Amino acid sequence: MIINFKGAKTYIGTGGKSLDNTKKTLCFLHGSGQNHLSFIQQARFFAYKGYSVIAPDMPGHGFSDGNPCKSIKENADWISDLLVKLKLKNVVVIGHSQGCLVALELNRILKSTLEALIFVAGSNEIPVNKFLLDLSKENPQKASQMMVTWGHGIDGDMSINKWPGHSHYGEGNNIMSMNKSTALRYDLHSCDDYSDGIDAAKNIKVPALAVLAKNDQMTPLKSGLKFVELIKNCETHTLDCGHFLPSERPMELNSIINSFLLKLK
Amino acid sequence: MSENYKFDTLSLHAGHIPDKETGSRAVPIYQTTSYVFNSTEEAASLYNMEVGGHLYTRISNPTVAALEQRLAALEGGASALACSSGMAAMHLVISAICSSGDHIVASSKMYGANINLLQHTMPRFGVNTDFVNPNDPEAIKKAIKPNTKLVFGEVIGNPGLDIMDVPEIAKICNSKNIPLVLDATFNTPYLMQPFKHGANIIVHSLTKWLGGHGIAIGGAVVNGGNFNWGDKDKFPTISGPHFALGGISFWEEFGPSALIAKIRAEGMYNFGPSLSPTNAFHLMQGIETLPLRMKKHIENTHSILDFLVKHEMVEWVKHPDLDTHPDHEVAKRILPKGSGSIVAFGIKGGREAGKAFIESVQLASHLANVGDAKTLLIHPGSTTHSHLSSEAMKEGGLTDDMIRLSVGLEDINDIKKDFERGFKAVKKLNK
Ligand SMILES: Cc1ncc(COP(=O)(O)O)c(C=O)c1O
Repeated sequence: MIINFKGAKTYIGTGGKSLDNTKKTLCFLHGSGQNHLSFIQQARFFAYKGYSVIAPDMPGHGFSDGNPCKSIKENADWISDLLVKLKLKNVVVIGHSQGCLVALELNRILKSTLEALIFVAGSNEIPVNKFLLDLSKENPQKASQMMVTWGHGIDGDMSINKWPGHSHYGEGNNIMSMNKSTALRYDLHSCDDYSDGIDAAKNIKVPALAVLAKNDQMTPLKSGLKFVELIKNCETHTLDCGHFLPSERPMELNSIINSFLLKLK
Repeated sequence: MSENYKFDTLSLHAGHIPDKETGSRAVPIYQTTSYVFNSTEEAASLYNMEVGGHLYTRISNPTVAALEQRLAALEGGASALACSSGMAAMHLVISAICSSGDHIVASSKMYGANINLLQHTMPRFGVNTDFVNPNDPEAIKKAIKPNTKLVFGEVIGNPGLDIMDVPEIAKICNSKNIPLVLDATFNTPYLMQPFKHGANIIVHSLTKWLGGHGIAIGGAVVNGGNFNWGDKDKFPTISGPHFALGGISFWEEFGPSALIAKIRAEGMYNFGPSLSPTNAFHLMQGIETLPLRMKKHIENTHSILDFLVKHEMVEWVKHPDLDTHPDHEVAKRILPKGSGSIVAFGIKGGREAGKAFIESVQLASHLANVGDAKTLLIHPGSTTHSHLSSEAMKEGGLTDDMIRLSVGLEDINDIKKDFERGFKAVKKLNK
């Protein structure tokens, strides 16, 4: 759906169902240079399971206008305000990559609204190498292509896809090129600059789930495993794939999330 | 990981990794119509396109999917869909995008069935086409109307071998927000990858060089994922509500793969031109050697061009790699590896000479196909167009002395010897 939010056209994926704010809401937060299409196979799946789903395109991403946020905190404030505007309560926040850092900040600012946190291919920190930071300014398209190739496990190279006929690389590159040309740069800098993750992770009081990827070259498994140690009682799973876990292992991921959600009150 | 495998490697591997249970190195033929659901929920999730997977072979099949993913990788596209023939692929694209009242701009020099579909069949459904010269970008620009929904042409035209200036035409389409749909059958991704030149959608007849052995009919739509379908008024079938899935917008739900999602949900579901798993296997087997074959096709073509140009019995020779071809410069620019292995030539002595030549050669096969590993010939004047006068043939851009040659992979000296046999028969006739 499209709404006017903070003076800008804002797109919110709802998984093909209309939003019902009386239900439990799953809020999917995309990663750097991505948009709601990172969660094609999660948004529709959980919307059809009866959850209320929002997968917003952050400002300057996907179908949303506006200027990309310049820090993780700014991203979190934007989401927090959006939840208020949409009158959503009982929210489970599901972040992928950068979305996990935003989720950590949301844990600090959302009070009773937040029911649980799910981290997909996440960590408490996402340092970005200088080469990629520079390239995202000089040639964002090239930087996107490099992320798409690094980001996928062997399924990317071999054009293996659970969705018949789809190519992770071809689709991934085009999803990233839908965004404003500044989006990737601001996102990567936001990740690189974020340093409050350890405290934020230790502060988590709601139930938490982490699904990590064995061959993650963007947020390495080692970093993810250290991260989950900081969280009290974080249910953790590791899948055999690359960073783009939502499209590489959709069924496994959905099944883990589904079981976790069923355990919540 | 992240090896970014090259074309030759992808031709062999893309779309398949041996499974852990059987270790089958070759892509298995999943000769099945349907797939057991683990639960009612799983069944529902497949029907609702919540997640990817197989539910019925008319819509998708694991062997066919391996072929589709190989094609997507070779073309650098977002997604692909394989179907029963090249013609089915073309119709799937047109019916997914156009509705009654819409308009198409198409090349005037294309394969007969492509022309027929647009000129005679689609108007019955309210979709009209203006045909323009494919090598005249300005004419294409002028023909675009407010209700034009796509521009269509063949990169290398069949049988006239006109070359479209793809980057120029793509610029025009892009500025008018209209998808450029190209039939890339004659070039295959080995000779040229249209998405790199700005095209948006590719249709293939896999029957030809991609399959390469004349054993299976098949087609494919490859979707670049690089077109913005967001204009709901202009492209309501892609970005407007879809009747059968709760009114969703394919563009919003599936983004770069919206077109393929639409074709699967509507074209495959409601018209059903599915490719058999066994044919998908045969076609994939062909693709494994595509780079090797195309290289040899081009080598042999250049050798036979040389032979024909110098031959006393040959009136004229047409191929874009010859500097006498009107599109030679465009061909050099966009098809630097060569412009395919179809050659047209005129034989001294007209219609009767063509007939005598065809009937005397032994190695080259006289038949109505192109892109086989074997050398193929046809003389339109005494076969497909025998009912037409010389004048009527000229109007269609053909002459009655014309032979269409699809150069194969034989030892080229054997083919030359075979042609000498044909020329000898013509000489006898001329005496
Ligand atoms: C350029 C071109 N496109 C499409 C087709 C149709 O392909 P099929 O026979 O696979 O339907 C052909 C067949 O000759 C062709 O030459």
